[in-house]
Amino acid sequence: MSLPDTSQDIAAVYRFLAQCMQYPDSDWMNEEFFDVLYNLLGTLGGIEEGVEIRKTINNAEDYIEDLQVEYTRLFINGVPHVVAPPYASVYMDKSLQGTFAGNTLAFYREKGFGLKEDADLPDHIIHELEFLSLLAEEKDLTGEEEFLTKLFRPWYQKFHTRVTEEAHHPYFRVVVMLIDFFTKEEDEDGFQPNEA
Amino acid sequence: MAFNLTRRKFLQTASLAAASVPLSKVVSASTGVTKTPLDAKGTFGDKTVVGGICEMCFWRCQLVGKVRDGRLMKLEGNPKSIDNGTAICARGNAGVKLLYDVDRLKYPMKNVGKRGAPKWKRISWKEALDECGSKLKSTVDKHGAQGICVFPHGASAKYPMHYFERTVGTHNVSEASFFQCRGIRDTAYVASIGKAPGEKIDMPNTKVLFFIGDHLGENVHVSHIKQYVQGLQNGAKLIVADPRFSASAAKADIWVQIKPGTDTAYMLAIMNYLVKNNKYDKAFVEDHTEGFEEFAAAISEWSLEKAAKECDIPAEQIKEVAEMLAANAPHVGVHPGRHVSWHGNDFQRQRALACLAGILGAYYVKGGWVPAKGPKVGGVSWAKEDHGHKYDLNYDHHEDEKVYPFNPPGTPTELIRDCAISGKPYPIKSCVVWGQNPMQTIPGQQKMKDLFNAMDFVMCVDVMPTDVTMWADILLPESSYLERFDYIKKGTQWDLSKEHQQYISARMPLVPAMFERKDQIYITNEIAKRMGHESKIPVKTIEEMVDKSLATANLSIEKLKAEDGIHIQPGKDPYGIPEDFTVMLFNEDIEDAGYPGAPTYKPVPDVPKGYARLLYGRAPVHTFNRSQNNVWLHNAMPDNPVWLNDEVAAKLGIIDGDTVGFVNSEGVESATTTTVKVTPGIRKDCVYMYHGYGSANPLMTIGVGAGVDDQALITKLAIDPETGCSGMRNNFVKLIKDGKVLEIQA
Repeated sequence: MSLPDTSQDIAAVYRFLAQCMQYPDSDWMNEEFFDVLYNLLGTLGGIEEGVEIRKTINNAEDYIEDLQVEYTRLFINGVPHVVAPPYASVYMDKSLQGTFAGNTLAFYREKGFGLKEDADLPDHIIHELEFLSLLAEEKDLTGEEEFLTKLFRPWYQKFHTRVTEEAHHPYFRVVVMLIDFFTKEEDEDGFQPNEA
Repeated sequence: MAFNLTRRKFLQTASLAAASVPLSKVVSASTGVTKTPLDAKGTFGDKTVVGGICEMCFWRCQLVGKVRDGRLMKLEGNPKSIDNGTAICARGNAGVKLLYDVDRLKYPMKNVGKRGAPKWKRISWKEALDECGSKLKSTVDKHGAQGICVFPHGASAKYPMHYFERTVGTHNVSEASFFQCRGIRDTAYVASIGKAPGEKIDMPNTKVLFFIGDHLGENVHVSHIKQYVQGLQNGAKLIVADPRFSASAAKADIWVQIKPGTDTAYMLAIMNYLVKNNKYDKAFVEDHTEGFEEFAAAISEWSLEKAAKECDIPAEQIKEVAEMLAANAPHVGVHPGRHVSWHGNDFQRQRALACLAGILGAYYVKGGWVPAKGPKVGGVSWAKEDHGHKYDLNYDHHEDEKVYPFNPPGTPTELIRDCAISGKPYPIKSCVVWGQNPMQTIPGQQKMKDLFNAMDFVMCVDVMPTDVTMWADILLPESSYLERFDYIKKGTQWDLSKEHQQYISARMPLVPAMFERKDQIYITNEIAKRMGHESKIPVKTIEEMVDKSLATANLSIEKLKAEDGIHIQPGKDPYGIPEDFTVMLFNEDIEDAGYPGAPTYKPVPDVPKGYARLLYGRAPVHTFNRSQNNVWLHNAMPDNPVWLNDEVAAKLGIIDGDTVGFVNSEGVESATTTTVKVTPGIRKDCVYMYHGYGSANPLMTIGVGAGVDDQALITKLAIDPETGCSGMRNNFVKLIKDGKVLEIQA
């Protein structure tokens, strides 16, 4: 039996995950967005996670500002320190724009992609997810796997751990869990290795 | 928490298709990653980008950047430079780590928490600028321009400082580089020789170098160090007065281990000896000084013995110094120093330095003080406007004269802080901090906190989240010196005896600014528009400012780029004294203002029993607190061990490497600890540490809590009476070890 071609669906998932990591703004982070998120979580058996996010948002005086403050603290500048800079090089080279960022950009180029002028650094998680989405659109499964193995998972695991342990808002814990789910390797029997 | 499917299973089922359909409806249409033409490997090779001018310190060496595919890999001195040449210091090299420091400010942020305990929220530039503009305008509308105070520092702060001073019209501007550093030197020399002295000693060609506390080698400015080392290589003698066996003291022919605060007495005795023994330069005094008789009379009480007692040094050593200076005059370099705000008696000490060089005839001669003849390049900034004296805190309206008549440009810091905290004589309600970290540059941290708490609005512009940024309402990220145009660097070849040449260069970006960092012209202009000053904006962009400045020398950014970043042209012979050059040995204007007309020694408070005087200085690999979060520099010198005399240490039972904290004579304890460096190379009545450690800001993930913040222990403020500048070395500490406060037995 041949497997269904799911590449366009996977591409949509990566793009959605990239969107989830954008700075929260009411322009896009609206009721429709959350409905789509809850739907995806429900499909995965993550209804409870959706409920937790919904509850936190409903109890907030200004949920967008809460998410903005939390995003700033986790990913930009925070007190006591920025928790999880979303750049691969920070984890692999202990600096922005390290060798790892260079290698990431080189990989984009090998596949015929580059960054727009107003883009963030090449190893920002959003761009890496966008890139994975574009590879999926092009049905470049080998490239996708190579990128995940060599350039995404090595740093993402560390990033994921930091966000999971330090995030105060359930939204970010759930989003990094989703990213983890969709980028994690599985063994031949379909089991994801337990990193813990 | 985990999902009840495996990824593979999910991807293989119809669930994915069902779930993915709506996903695309809620994502933005564009991506940062985009399809580009295929490029063969190797087309993104390394580039050497010219036009860099360092600002890891304020000497500003000329740089080139080695850039690989948009990433700055390495900084080097510009081979075309006739100043620093290919050499840059450790800090210069480590600029790469500042550029890519993950803790750097990236986006405008708003504090939705409290001042001092911020909760940051990223906001748009528009929102940030709207808030800055409206809050500052509201302050001006309600309280007048004087309701804004400004604490600027560095090349990027010049343009905004001029805006607030000249266009908005507040006098309440205080630069740490003047009031807590070199301002006293400049005004004392202006009152003595009519010019600020810089560090313009012709060191390569001198016969004797005379230092008061200068610790070149620990204080590293590349071309300055080249001059110094060349002078020593050429056989110059070195005389160093320092309570500590500094890097310079270690190279000295005569090390004068002087009691802190008594340097003026030491120099008065030298000058008195030279006068009394007819060993001064009579022709120079006749032709180029004023007030010799009054000067000689005023210093006549300072015998070698009297100074020896006051300074706690042998009389014979003072005589030896005087004889060495006389024997080599006029080719002696009496160094004016740089950071000189020490004891609150500093204006007179700087006057003494200027006068000592005067009676030795050591101006405009080989080896003396020689201002090189550099090229002329005009500047562009906000037009000057007269705002009168009405709200000038440094103006005594009853007496119709200045409170501190010899103040450096701006208003003395304490006058601003007292006014802001008390609301008298008028309210100050907004504060602009630009590139300065007053929490670690200005003594009296509690007073600084009180000032911020008294404000309606505080904005900070910086590259790093320094301690002061915790007190901001709006925090704006500035592009660093490696990411922007601005400063025009000009000068001459570093060794004045060599072929006379002049250079002109301008700072150019080595890489584009990352994230949403902006330059000072953009930020200032946008605020100015919102405050109603759009018609007065002098330049629209930073490139325009640089190009307009360069045009005054028939240059442009493009021309400079074509010349590898540095324009070189023939220079002029700097030696030979101008006819009208005069050293005011006795200055009647100073006397008329109510201060001694001749250099005069004023004793400083003695060390209380059980304490040691806290001295501080520069580390060779750090620029104060500015570089404390730099990972390379941090690894080179991670903390600031306190120097403690070996005999004192033995009495206290302290050994080298012990960990200690501090408490000062006003009961303020250090928040952190550091290690002890036990050494015979420091007087028993002092301890010493490098300045610029122990950040309190957790955002500085490298620098936070590393070493001790000496500034936190400087709580007793001495104000220099002539200038209003801060004296910071009249603070006394005890050591704390294992929770126990130790009495120091000097």
